[in-house]
Amino acid sequence: MTRALALLVIVIVSLVALAPFARAQDLVSGLSQDQVEINSSYAGTSIVVFGAIEGTDSSPGSPKDVVVVIRGPDTDMTVRRKVRIAGIWINRDTMKLGGMPSYYYLASTRPIAKIASSQTLARYQLGLAYVTPETIGTHTPAKAEPFRIAAISERARDGLYAQTENVEFLSYSLFRVRIPIPATVPRGEYTVEAYLFRDGTVTSAQSTPLFVDQKGLERRLYRFAHASPFIYGLSAVLMAMCLGWLSSLLIRQQR
Amino acid sequence: MEIYLPVAEMSVHWLTILGMAGAVGYLSGLLGVGGAFLLTPLLIFYGIPPTVAVATTASHLTASSMAGAIAQWRRRAVDLKMAGVMLCGGFAGSALGVYLFGLLHRIGQTEIVVAVGYVILLGTVGGLMLDESVRTLRAAQLGQPSPLSARMHHNWIHGLPFKLRFKQSRLYISVIPPIALGFAVGILSALLGVGGGFVLVPAMIYLLRMPTSVVIGTSLTQIVCVTAATTLLQSVNNYSVDIVLAAILIVGGALGAQFGVRMASRLKGEHLRLLLALLVLAVAARLFVGLVTTPDDLYSLAVGS
Repeated sequence: MTRALALLVIVIVSLVALAPFARAQDLVSGLSQDQVEINSSYAGTSIVVFGAIEGTDSSPGSPKDVVVVIRGPDTDMTVRRKVRIAGIWINRDTMKLGGMPSYYYLASTRPIAKIASSQTLARYQLGLAYVTPETIGTHTPAKAEPFRIAAISERARDGLYAQTENVEFLSYSLFRVRIPIPATVPRGEYTVEAYLFRDGTVTSAQSTPLFVDQKGLERRLYRFAHASPFIYGLSAVLMAMCLGWLSSLLIRQQR
Repeated sequence: MEIYLPVAEMSVHWLTILGMAGAVGYLSGLLGVGGAFLLTPLLIFYGIPPTVAVATTASHLTASSMAGAIAQWRRRAVDLKMAGVMLCGGFAGSALGVYLFGLLHRIGQTEIVVAVGYVILLGTVGGLMLDESVRTLRAAQLGQPSPLSARMHHNWIHGLPFKLRFKQSRLYISVIPPIALGFAVGILSALLGVGGGFVLVPAMIYLLRMPTSVVIGTSLTQIVCVTAATTLLQSVNNYSVDIVLAAILIVGGALGAQFGVRMASRLKGEHLRLLLALLVLAVAARLFVGLVTTPDDLYSLAVGS
């Protein structure tokens, strides 16, 4: 919701800002696929975000930059810190970070710190440094900071958070980036946002949804386990008993 | 070869999992134990979430114990009355264990409790088994009779009330010890994902003083029922049983056990027990090291509410 609002603000602001120019540049982008299906042999995949910058360049001298961000559905994260108690490492300090993206991948043409000011980057949440939780309970932001950093590095280790400079220009106006979707990717509705930066300000932006969901048998089993857990458990028991009985037949046959 | 586990929500190399289950199945066939105490830690080392590993191993145990139990039923080596009494405690213990497991998961202490529980349980049982088998081997070398038979002449168990007659076991004892034993093993099964045979069997022999001929069959029957109940309760309370993972584990375990059983007939019983004791202690030591060494990352992350 807040992101949709932010995007609306971007569009309005950029329209107002660009009004004086006769022909503004627009960014148009697309995805190689608008949904990722998780099936039984799913081991991660990658999608390609491509796009073009349309219109004539009113100031060819200034650098133009493209930033592509993919965000997974918001989720709550609980970060725990281990403390040594009686020689054993035990989880003690706990912090709940509400409304963190479950997946975050940022790709840009150059290091983002060089593209725009930190205020601008923070406003659009561009870069791992600006991925912040919406709520941290009763804790102060300073106290939450090490937990936020720990959450981000943990996600980065799993390949679920990343920040790269992988966006490449194929021609003067055509760009492309390949974004890995790892095997452990969470399901849900993702947003793919592409920003065009000129002189440190956003001049054009586009948002496209991307759906990640289980498919076929996997989806049915997951639904089954959550919608009717009793019958699911019963079938697990029955399967185990049948297989156990079968293997006892096998043993008997060999004797 | 990757396969996606729908409940664990991750993809795994199914051949690796099958191989792990097969190796554990081989050892369990060789040593005559369920082997879950090896399988659960192995799955956690592989990266399966502990909640899923513990819950799914329960259904693997149902299958592997089922095969053994059927063989014992055919031989009529099961004291059904005793199994029934123990199950009263077993179901209650399993329910409490599953409830505790969910609670621990919510406060983020599952891993530590599972690890500490394993270290204590395996350390104690492994130590006792090692002591026992070393003594037996030494006695055999000296040509003396096994010291086993001379133990525990009388115990406090015969002083307890609510006595029942167990015909097949030729026992007249209080129902409290079997119920308590079933209860304890039920908790272990739910909390640690073990069948508890290596606690159950010695306790039935030395504490309840059941004849050895019915101990194996009765304990296997008990384990089949308790792990079945645990699977059901884990599915309902914690949504943590992965049926795809369970199927791979069961098939791998059954295949491995076939070879293990054949190998077992070529080895001596005392040597097998020594091997099992060393194996149990090795797992305990590995888990203990994990508990006390400073972790690479002090922080851990749990996603979802």
